[in-house]
Amino acid sequence: MTQSPTLSRRSTQSAPAPRKSKRSGADARAGYTFLFPWLLGFIVLTLGPMVSSLYLSFTNYNLFDPPKWIGLDNYATMFQDERFLQSVGVTVGYVVFGTPLKLAAALAVAMLLNSKRKGQGFYRSAFYAPSLIGASVSIAIVWKAMFGDSGPVDQGLSFFGINLGGWVGNPAMTMPMFILLTVWQFGAPMVIFLAGLKQIPNELYEAASMDGAGPVRKFFNITWPMLSPVVFFNLLMETIHAFQIFSSAYIISNGEGGPAGSTLFYTLYLYLRGFSDFRMGYASAMAWLLLIVVGLITLVIFRTSKSWVHYSGDSK
Amino acid sequence: MINRRNFLTTVAIGTASAAALAACGSPAPSQTGSAENPVTINYTWWGNDDRAERTRKAIALFEGKNKDIKVNGNFTDFGGYWQKRATEAAGGGLPDVMQWDLSYMRDYGQRNQLLDLGTVKINTDAFDKSLLPSGQIRGKTYGIPTSTNAFAVYYDPAKLASLGIAEPDGTWTYKEYNDFLAEVGAKGNGALFGATDYTGVWWMFNIWLRQNNIEAFTEDGKLGFSRDDLKKWWNQTAALRGTPAIVSEERVTQLAPKSPFGSNVTATEVTWDNFMAGYLGDSGAKELKLVPVPSDDPDNLGLFLKPSMLMVASAKTKYKDAAARFIDFMVNDPEVGQIFKTSRGVPASKTQRDGTTFEGTDKLVVDYEKSIEKYLKDAPEPPIVGFGTLETSFKRVSSDLNYGKLTIDGAADAWFKEAEDLIKQNA
Repeated sequence: MTQSPTLSRRSTQSAPAPRKSKRSGADARAGYTFLFPWLLGFIVLTLGPMVSSLYLSFTNYNLFDPPKWIGLDNYATMFQDERFLQSVGVTVGYVVFGTPLKLAAALAVAMLLNSKRKGQGFYRSAFYAPSLIGASVSIAIVWKAMFGDSGPVDQGLSFFGINLGGWVGNPAMTMPMFILLTVWQFGAPMVIFLAGLKQIPNELYEAASMDGAGPVRKFFNITWPMLSPVVFFNLLMETIHAFQIFSSAYIISNGEGGPAGSTLFYTLYLYLRGFSDFRMGYASAMAWLLLIVVGLITLVIFRTSKSWVHYSGDSK
Repeated sequence: MINRRNFLTTVAIGTASAAALAACGSPAPSQTGSAENPVTINYTWWGNDDRAERTRKAIALFEGKNKDIKVNGNFTDFGGYWQKRATEAAGGGLPDVMQWDLSYMRDYGQRNQLLDLGTVKINTDAFDKSLLPSGQIRGKTYGIPTSTNAFAVYYDPAKLASLGIAEPDGTWTYKEYNDFLAEVGAKGNGALFGATDYTGVWWMFNIWLRQNNIEAFTEDGKLGFSRDDLKKWWNQTAALRGTPAIVSEERVTQLAPKSPFGSNVTATEVTWDNFMAGYLGDSGAKELKLVPVPSDDPDNLGLFLKPSMLMVASAKTKYKDAAARFIDFMVNDPEVGQIFKTSRGVPASKTQRDGTTFEGTDKLVVDYEKSIEKYLKDAPEPPIVGFGTLETSFKRVSSDLNYGKLTIDGAADAWFKEAEDLIKQNA
């Protein structure tokens, strides 16, 4: 009988009787039948394209002519491509500064909203709203207008005597603008932090108060360790998410990554390479490199997590 | 969950690639519609609101005369236009009929994405025979020019008058033009600048090369000019960058996709003469005037008539007949000429040109093209494959130069590296 290893192992473990095995065969069939729509989607929409993009990453492919095999050339030339290196710099800067700031904002607001006060439901919704609409095209357009010459931000700062002009056209100010945009969308991690905060038993705080611990002490000795699995999850998700920034960069820079390449995020350059320069092989190689790097960073975060993430019930 | 997220990074690109691989269906036979059951063709163009308005009028006129065809129109700005087309071509879904640019003729024509218009019925009797080759590659016709345009310097007479600066007489050397820009900048008091840095415009560079008897590309598709030529070109405005003679790149970026000239930030602009209608619409100016580009050789202005745009059809269109009739209508019909005037350029078809009355600023454009007739040289053939990318990177590198991120030497090196890499890729 052809069965998956797990199923056969289980059936031999539980009961070797042939009738039972037949039953589990039927179960397996039913299981796979129910799994089929997802499996089909996975194979056709995810696995297939991934395999073909892996193949394309070793070719010179211009979208129209058949791909030409060139081995590792795409990967090798990448590191001599100044625009590529620039895009790596821009993206790393964004991830390194944007993600921690966003998480800090999310945690701070979550702690404020954790107390029992009237109208908390309203505040929670209000703070969550930006992350619902944040990734949309319209927000990128609004952002561009806000930070343009004589936009509200420019006028507001000028009122306080800070004359920066428009941020959109100034290569030194575009990165702060994008970081503000991502920090402003702290809603999703905030909700998760809030759920995590609710899980912390109040007794711990009461006991700490009895022992005379102040708010700072309480935060570092109770809140942070108790919340660390949630921080870990949020850090992981937001880091990966930050690497994938595309639409806001595309809209705000008119799809060019300007001014002076200061918004040339990795995915934007990947897109330009593929669809503006018709270098789909190169773009595929970039996509795979990103996958590998994000995978490695995830691994590193997982590895270090042992030293700072505490799960309740752990003896550590 | 995390893995799925991870995978998403590649899915987007992968999906597109898969779509590209899957897009090998054979084109269906030509289909026709009837008045009760019309066929719908998609038409897309680039341009601003002014062109959109005119195009919608032309489409309505066409639909009124051809009850069996409906035209579904769609437009974007020039930059985004080509990224969209590439995405569509990869998925095998190019619109049936498209407005096209000479820069991208080879990329798509040579790669069998465009319909050979020799296989359908389009009347080209009224066209100047020297103009048609610009839509042809290796003997096949992929595009029909709608109209011609030529390079010119625009200026706003009212703005010059308000600054007390005399209008240019139309013959100037680069030094004279630069001095003029500096004067505007000095008197403009931070509100009005001379121009956008004209050395960032590929076609102006091309004209300067021609003024020096250099062709931009050799016949075998290589670069016809040297790194030193390019450095010399970018040095033309070296003394003006960072002064009010040239509008700052910060402003240019903020105003995009509108031009500084259309936004009333500069007094002059060096570009195609058919931008007149667009500039009038954008700036709200009463009148704009045109004079020839500067040249250090008064007998050689390096100017030429270029098809400002062409009409093409997708090789995969299901409605070849309808597409051909729409193209024929757009390039030949006198009433279409009346709608567009010179906003697409001066109509290329004599039927359309003669059927159009040019008044006011439109007459200025027609008169301008007549006035430079004796200086005109042959229209360029479709440039090399990947030219659109080169044109874009020329603008980008020049922008980096204006931001002070690159020196002139560094800019020339950067552009040459990209150009040589691209030519090697497509060889």
